[in-house]
Amino acid sequence: MTETMFTLPPSLYVPLLDLACGAFLLTGMMVLWRRDLAAIVRLFALQGIALAALIVVLGVYEQDVELVAVGLGVGALRAGLLPYLMRRALIAGGAGREVRPVVNVATSLLVAAVLAMLAYAVAQPLIRLSPTPATQAVPIALTVLLVGFFVLVTRRRALSQVVGFLLMDNAITMTAFLTTSGVPLVVELGISMDVLLAVLVFQVLTTRMRAAFGGTDLDELRELHD
Amino acid sequence: MNLVGTLFCTALAICALSALAGLATPTRLRLPLAGLGTAGAGALGTAAGLAALLGESWSAWLPELLPLAGVRLAIDPLAGLFLAVTGVVALCAAIYGIGYSRDGLDGRVVQAAAPLFVAAMLLVPAAASVSTFLVAWELMAITSLLLVVADHRHRSAVGEAGLWYGVMTHLGFVAILAGLLAFAAGAGGESFDQLRQAELSPALRGTVFLATVVGFASKAGIVPLHVWLPRAHPEAPSQISALMSAAMVNMGVYGIVRVGLDLLHGGPVWWWMVVLIAGAISALYGILQAAVSADLKRLLGHSTTENMGLVLIGVGAAGLFAAWGNAVLAALALTAALLHVVNHAGFKTLLFLAAGSVQRATGTRDLDQLGGLRTRMPYTTGLFAVGALCASALPPGNAFVSEWLLLQSLIHALPTSGVVGAVTMPLAVGVIALSAGLAVATFVKAFGIGFLAKPRGPEAARAAESPPAMLGGMALAACCCLVLALAPTAILPVLSHAVAVALPGPGAVTGEVSLHLAGISSVISPLLIAVALGVAVAGTLALTRVVATRRVRRAARLWDCGGGPMSARMEYTATSFAEPLQRVFDNVLAPESDVDVTPVKESAYLVESVRFRAKVPDRIERRLYEPVLSVLTFVGRGARHLATGSVHRYLAYGFWALTGALIMLAVFQ
Repeated sequence: MTETMFTLPPSLYVPLLDLACGAFLLTGMMVLWRRDLAAIVRLFALQGIALAALIVVLGVYEQDVELVAVGLGVGALRAGLLPYLMRRALIAGGAGREVRPVVNVATSLLVAAVLAMLAYAVAQPLIRLSPTPATQAVPIALTVLLVGFFVLVTRRRALSQVVGFLLMDNAITMTAFLTTSGVPLVVELGISMDVLLAVLVFQVLTTRMRAAFGGTDLDELRELHD
Repeated sequence: MNLVGTLFCTALAICALSALAGLATPTRLRLPLAGLGTAGAGALGTAAGLAALLGESWSAWLPELLPLAGVRLAIDPLAGLFLAVTGVVALCAAIYGIGYSRDGLDGRVVQAAAPLFVAAMLLVPAAASVSTFLVAWELMAITSLLLVVADHRHRSAVGEAGLWYGVMTHLGFVAILAGLLAFAAGAGGESFDQLRQAELSPALRGTVFLATVVGFASKAGIVPLHVWLPRAHPEAPSQISALMSAAMVNMGVYGIVRVGLDLLHGGPVWWWMVVLIAGAISALYGILQAAVSADLKRLLGHSTTENMGLVLIGVGAAGLFAAWGNAVLAALALTAALLHVVNHAGFKTLLFLAAGSVQRATGTRDLDQLGGLRTRMPYTTGLFAVGALCASALPPGNAFVSEWLLLQSLIHALPTSGVVGAVTMPLAVGVIALSAGLAVATFVKAFGIGFLAKPRGPEAARAAESPPAMLGGMALAACCCLVLALAPTAILPVLSHAVAVALPGPGAVTGEVSLHLAGISSVISPLLIAVALGVAVAGTLALTRVVATRRVRRAARLWDCGGGPMSARMEYTATSFAEPLQRVFDNVLAPESDVDVTPVKESAYLVESVRFRAKVPDRIERRLYEPVLSVLTFVGRGARHLATGSVHRYLAYGFWALTGALIMLAVFQ
């Protein structure tokens, strides 16, 4: 099987890898920049494509068919199914904008820059362990992880929160593939199912929230506190 | 497996079966099955303990039973003594419980937790490694906590008592855990055999001793860690009160003896001085609080603090004598302490069970509402009288014997003990004498006000005698008290085996009828004293009868100063009985009284109503615990501002924690 497969020379592998990682980081950062919820979902879909491309590139380079297949699956889920579900929730709830984030957009981008620096500083020992082109990209995954968390903290609309959560999950998946060339298929399947379930729950929840409160601003939930 | 092991394991198995019976059988069968099972387990535990006291020891290692460490059990004579005491108390309490639990206490949880509580108390002395000991200790704490809150639906004080008990017992557990873990880490192994052979630095030994003593003292209700005891013991169902007050508190003493004298092989003078002083303060403070208490079961709970204080005086004195190199006196003091543990278990079981009968018959524990039970509950009255006599440290009671032994050891310490001893020993003697005197007043009050004279309240007037199962349990406890009082020589020789585990050497007390003390020329014969007293009382009665029958009897109304017929309202109450004592110890007790006079509207000189309230609060609780509690409440209130209900805020906490940790990592890596 391996003989028939197309081999990727290192001169092509590293730029492709960097390109995918760059796209991954850029889409993550742009989630902070855009306020239009539909645009945020589009960005998330683009990030899913970048992630899938990254895994496929890794799979082709390592000549691992299974990894390529996983990459395609991840792409189908994160660039196809999840954005589709979120768009449906968005349409059901009427398109909206992130009107008043807890931290405004300019500050958010500055914070993201700081988080990127932090991620680079923290990831250095990991890179030193095995300095390959793949592990060199780990700081990007960590940055997106922190950015996702930051989105979760500062964005008010339920959909932005889910995107923040999914950004974190994307980043975790990316870290797994960069450092260990993929977790076992069963684990990856399990995580994907979890994520899918979370989005489905979110879809039901936003509909209910809209019915109950007339909006999806999470701070409306404050009244649940004792 | 030898005799001890067989008996012990059978007892544990029966406890487990009884707990199952308590959970799974229908209400009608539940009480007899669980009660008889627990009683049987108690009897077997006693047998195992006695066999171990007679010299047969047993040990086992079950590596698969607990992960990582396994279960290590060993029963030596010292463990056997505490097993036997626990077993007898469980036997009496379980028989009593069959009758007592009918009214509302026959729930599954209570009936299943009681056998497990007994099993845990049998396991604690048998544990022979740190992990086994801690597991058994925690099992004992949890099951007893469940039993304390058994009655929470009917009385609101139960919840508060449970909270106090839960917090105090777990703080104590933390202290024991810290001490024993430090010990095991220093020794490089966790079985008691390894701990015995450990060579630790003096600082570590001192830390281990102090930490464990704090934990064990909190279980024994020693001042100032006693605050839970007068709350939790009275609020538990009465047979559980008896188990806790007569058996569970002993585990604190066991822990101190086991760790301090056996595992650490004794220590410097200051260790034992701490124990002795804590014991002396507890003895005095406990009996003072008991003397002014008007709640029958609370009074008994305070008396437990007093008696554990006396035991700790003995243990502390034994450690001191050992540190000073006087092995004979050390053995005598420890013998006295352990004998007092046995004696206290006997009379406190009886008293708590009798108090439970009173509570069941009248619905109240307030001595000011009781009285006149002698004609309505004759057996309970008689049994309580036996218990009160035993508790007041007067001949022919059993506490007299152990306190006499304790006094002998302290008095004879003077020539050998240097300046420190010359100061502390006479003070300790004074404390014991004073507490004995106050104990007499306390139990005269409890018996005289509670059972004699006319009923002070309508509940007392309607009281009826308890069912036979309850009387049986009490009678069994009374028999144990009588045997201990009249024939202490029967158990003192075997007691010396237990003493020898902690302080190797020959027995301190010998004799068939009279007690002869080794190295001291004192002799006492409880049996002869009792016979002499009996003869004297019988003689006096006969004489008065002879003298009285010479006159013709006249029936007349009691002289009432012309104030109309005497009513129960004019009787002496428990509060008034204790008032002189309260006055004498005013500075210590700091009682609070409050007079509220409401004048008639028209004239300030005419009084419409007078309201008088008197209360003796626990001063240590007020000074020591309330400030701590108020600080904790304040901090807790402040912490509520952290949780406003905003999802973003909660997420931000997580975000800041993560980035903070990462920044630390980046800076310090």
